[in-house]
Amino acid sequence: MTSTPSADRWIGYLNTVLLMVAGIIVVAPTLWMVLSSFKFSHEVTAYPPTLFFTPTLTNYVSLWERTPFIQYGINSAVVTSASTALGILLGTPAAFVVSWTRITWPAIVTLLARMAPGTLFLLPWYLMFRQIDMIGSYWALILTHAVITMPIVIWVLLPFFDNIPRSIFEAAQVDGCSPIRVFYRIALPLVSAGLSVSSILAFVFSWNYFLFALVLSNSDTKTLIAASFNFIGEGSTNWGALMAAATLIALPPLVLAIIVQRWLVSGLTLGAVKG
Amino acid sequence: MASIRIRNLVKRFGNVTVIPDLSLDIPDHEFVVLVGPSGCGKSTLLRILAGLESVNEGDVYIGEERVNTVPAAKRDIAMVFQDYALYPHMTVRQNMAFALEMRGMSKAEIEERVQKAAKLLHIDGLLDRRPKALSGGQRQRVAMGRAIVRDPKVFLFDEPLSNLDAKLRAQVRAEIKALSQQLRTTMVFVTHDQIEAMTMADRIVVMQSGVIQQVGSPEEVYEKPANMFVAGFIGSPSMNFIPARMTDGEICLEDGVSFPAERLFPVRSQAIEAGQPLTLGVRPEHFLFAPDDPAAFKAQVSLVEPLGSDTLVHFTAGGIDAVARVSPDLRPKPGDVLPLIPAPNKVHLFMPETGEAIC
Ligand SMILES: Nc1ncnc2c1ncn2[C@@H]1O[C@H](COP(=O)(O)OP(=O)(O)O)[C@@H](O)[C@H]1O
Ligand SMILES: [Mg+2]
Repeated sequence: MTSTPSADRWIGYLNTVLLMVAGIIVVAPTLWMVLSSFKFSHEVTAYPPTLFFTPTLTNYVSLWERTPFIQYGINSAVVTSASTALGILLGTPAAFVVSWTRITWPAIVTLLARMAPGTLFLLPWYLMFRQIDMIGSYWALILTHAVITMPIVIWVLLPFFDNIPRSIFEAAQVDGCSPIRVFYRIALPLVSAGLSVSSILAFVFSWNYFLFALVLSNSDTKTLIAASFNFIGEGSTNWGALMAAATLIALPPLVLAIIVQRWLVSGLTLGAVKG
Repeated sequence: MASIRIRNLVKRFGNVTVIPDLSLDIPDHEFVVLVGPSGCGKSTLLRILAGLESVNEGDVYIGEERVNTVPAAKRDIAMVFQDYALYPHMTVRQNMAFALEMRGMSKAEIEERVQKAAKLLHIDGLLDRRPKALSGGQRQRVAMGRAIVRDPKVFLFDEPLSNLDAKLRAQVRAEIKALSQQLRTTMVFVTHDQIEAMTMADRIVVMQSGVIQQVGSPEEVYEKPANMFVAGFIGSPSMNFIPARMTDGEICLEDGVSFPAERLFPVRSQAIEAGQPLTLGVRPEHFLFAPDDPAAFKAQVSLVEPLGSDTLVHFTAGGIDAVARVSPDLRPKPGDVLPLIPAPNKVHLFMPETGEAIC
């Protein structure tokens, strides 16, 4: 089929329109969230939503005064960073081995574990961690969040490893590398783009995951996102504070994504390995 | 430096047998070329030597050591891959130094060896570049450099020239040969290109379907092919195969073309029984232009391919289609009739059923 210039132009318009629709769908709730965080509580639920209003910092101030927000932030940072690191530490060699041996079932199992509803894990874990007296510890959260981060790392890295020509690994073996050396001297440097992509995605998903923290943390180790749930339903929901909390919670992943944007795009589109 | 000994090797992938039963001896210092059509198991055999592929049955020895279960990393062999397999994240220097580093060699000695190998291959100006910034020919040289810094027991090459253009290929071919004479290390070189095999090898191993057809010097496989496969595979254009029959003192082709047997085989004509069906093998370069010879047959020229140095003439004579290589001075044209006769003692005879050569 040949496309005429006018057909090309229409496809161009359609593209623009679709991208705008997608943009609105993504941006509108975010915008609503950010704007609401600067409104008084009664304005938040007003219908239709007001676009022009007198901004206030009340919500942020009350967040600050009524909750140990910094402590929650530190909790989130600790749990997320450690579980991301754990996910990378376990997931990277796992992905390499799956790619190398072409034995895929371990990767499938992690994917299934990831796709299973988190509530499935809750009861056994709760009992288990209570048994060993670890409820409310950072470790309980870090370990359980590895269930979120490790499958992401494995599945993001797999195509990166698969993309490295096998002969490069073979050349390394002939050059005297043990399999472990092949991994960290050859394979690892060649998937650096994949490592950054997978750590960012793992970080974001772990940061935003609240279910495990809801059950396995205590008031000292509660993560931001789990804590923000307290704003819902204490008699009446404090929508303004909730929106302020949500805005602050969304900030780190957003900043991270913007900083590494270029990496992320080139990493997601692969091609980084081919010379 | 080491010899290689392969005994009754069997290699299967799943239930496909790629190498049914192979034995081969490669003496120390020898440059052996494994040649055969694509898919005949050359790479598999080479990878078995390298330790990159396991063995189902049989034994492989490098030097005195049985290496069946020795991992690639411990075999002290170097290999040049078809796609070169350079490490993309390392400079040329690091690529070449890598194997030495793995062996815990001192920095000073590594640098000295890298410099020496780089000079030998004329890549000393490229040492700080990444593979991405090199041309195909330069990458090929780096791959070679990575092998020769090692000073290994054996060099293995898997079609290392197939990604180069024709001119570069001829040049690198000559360089590898010169290098092999300089290094005197055992080399096993795999190719599907019989010209590479002929030009470089001390000995050629011709393979088909995982079975060795013949082992011999380039001259031997060209002059005394063991069977029709080798005869057809070595030499370009291919040998002409012509059905024939022996009758009292004459070799008769189809449609009544015949030659006195002693003209073609002054020495060995007695060995053939009368009436026996035969396949006559004549290389294009072994047809002689013989205007004054009464025994010559009349070749009807159908197509002419001038090569400059020679001219290829496709002709028919009786029911035969064949190719002859003649002097360009003849200036043959389609439709011409050339008097041709096979050169004495250059004609090969094969059993039509088995393809085996008759001596
Ligand atoms: N890893 C493998 N798994 C299954 N079959 C293979 C594998 N490697 C090679 N083969 C088969 O073995 C045969 C010989 O392959 P190879 O040694 O690469 O041939 P060559 O190098 O002579 O072209 C081919 O038929 C090929 O399909
Ligand atoms: Mg091959």
